[in-house]
Amino acid sequence: MKSTQSPRGTAPWRAVPAIGLLVLLTAAPLGCAVQAPDAKSTDTKPAAETSANVASSNATQPATATASDAGTVDAQAIAALDRMGAYLRSLKSFSVKGASTFDLVSEDGQRVEIPATLEYQVRVPDGLRMHVRSDHKEREVVYDGRTLTVYSPKEKYFATVDAPATLHELVNVAATKYGIELPLADLFLWGTPQAPNSAVTDASAIGPAIIDGVPTQQYAFRQGGTDWQVWIADGAQPVPRRIVITTTTDPARPQYATMLTWNTSAAPAPSTFAFTPPAGAQRIELVQVAAVEEKSP
Amino acid sequence: MSRYRFAILLPALVASVGLLSTPDANARGQFVRGANTSVNRNFDNRGVENRNIDDRNINVNRNVNVNVDNHGCCDHYNNNWYYDHPVATAAAVTTTVAVTAAAIGSIVRSVPPSCASVVVNGIAYQQCGSTWYQPQYVGSSVQYVVVVAPR
Repeated sequence: MKSTQSPRGTAPWRAVPAIGLLVLLTAAPLGCAVQAPDAKSTDTKPAAETSANVASSNATQPATATASDAGTVDAQAIAALDRMGAYLRSLKSFSVKGASTFDLVSEDGQRVEIPATLEYQVRVPDGLRMHVRSDHKEREVVYDGRTLTVYSPKEKYFATVDAPATLHELVNVAATKYGIELPLADLFLWGTPQAPNSAVTDASAIGPAIIDGVPTQQYAFRQGGTDWQVWIADGAQPVPRRIVITTTTDPARPQYATMLTWNTSAAPAPSTFAFTPPAGAQRIELVQVAAVEEKSP
Repeated sequence: MSRYRFAILLPALVASVGLLSTPDANARGQFVRGANTSVNRNFDNRGVENRNIDDRNINVNRNVNVNVDNHGCCDHYNNNWYYDHPVATAAAVTTTVAVTAAAIGSIVRSVPPSCASVVVNGIAYQQCGSTWYQPQYVGSSVQYVVVVAPR
């Protein structure tokens, strides 16, 4: 199916509504009735929706596209993703702790692994406290529905800016306005239109796996410059117990892997989401991404 | 050649990363990229955040290369929650600051440990001799802008 995709970008019949029929016809010989609708939805995803990711990954790393075999989207894997997303969005408050490894890449392509911890405390829809710590860097992010604060315990600098009213908006505003992309932001995006299944170009069910003694199912996906895997807990609380993200647009293919321990009944106190500057902390500015761009020489 | 320009000037940096046992460690250069930490993004500011940073004053000695746009992709320097850059980089900056007059408005990622943290009129500065820096967050990283001496 990949082979039908690349020429389509320039083919004059790209916009013809019959494309869906064409894809169906293409998929039909595979003899898998279940796959056809998924293949169709993947192939006919709106250009505006994912063109940025697809275009950039194709442009910067043509090898990625050719390295992948014909993308197949397993309906079972997508269903599991949907179920996990729906469950995550059903939580009214939770806390989750992560043990991560983060790959750095040197100028000449050597990977070095940085171990780290991550903790989120969340109150839907308007409270978040994040603490991330490696041997090299530590940050806290605090959000209470009104302001967003970033704090560095070592430098004792904090920055506080006005924030949107909901966590959902915050994830985007923090990233687009301030360049603050929360680690594992997917935890807040899955189950929303911002994590569209149409962005997934390949989905596989790998099979059962025990993570931290807990039975899970492992799934593998390809999406927007990443190969990623998730181990979703069996049972009534389908939370991600392990997430591995491989950046495929980088020739060194760095990985970010996190084991997650959930408390889905946590009810953090309101004070959790209020930032109180520690003694000696100094307030500094948080630069807007656009403002930084304007300073370009 | 570029592999060796790091050899003399970066031992402290390399030591701080704990990789001296790697024979070729000195030639590695700076860690400039990292893994994506999320899958979904309806934004793409990769590569944007550092294009603007004026690294000239810490590149003078060619010992600290924080030019992260070499690869045109993938950079999450300011979104990198796990690693800004080695503390030892500050030593290199020390040398550089002593050699060059830091231009007002230029930005560095760290200041020498000898600098003094000073608050003037409620604004935090780092005073390094006659050079004053105003810290700011860019993404999750603290950076320092050279400013006119506030006093």
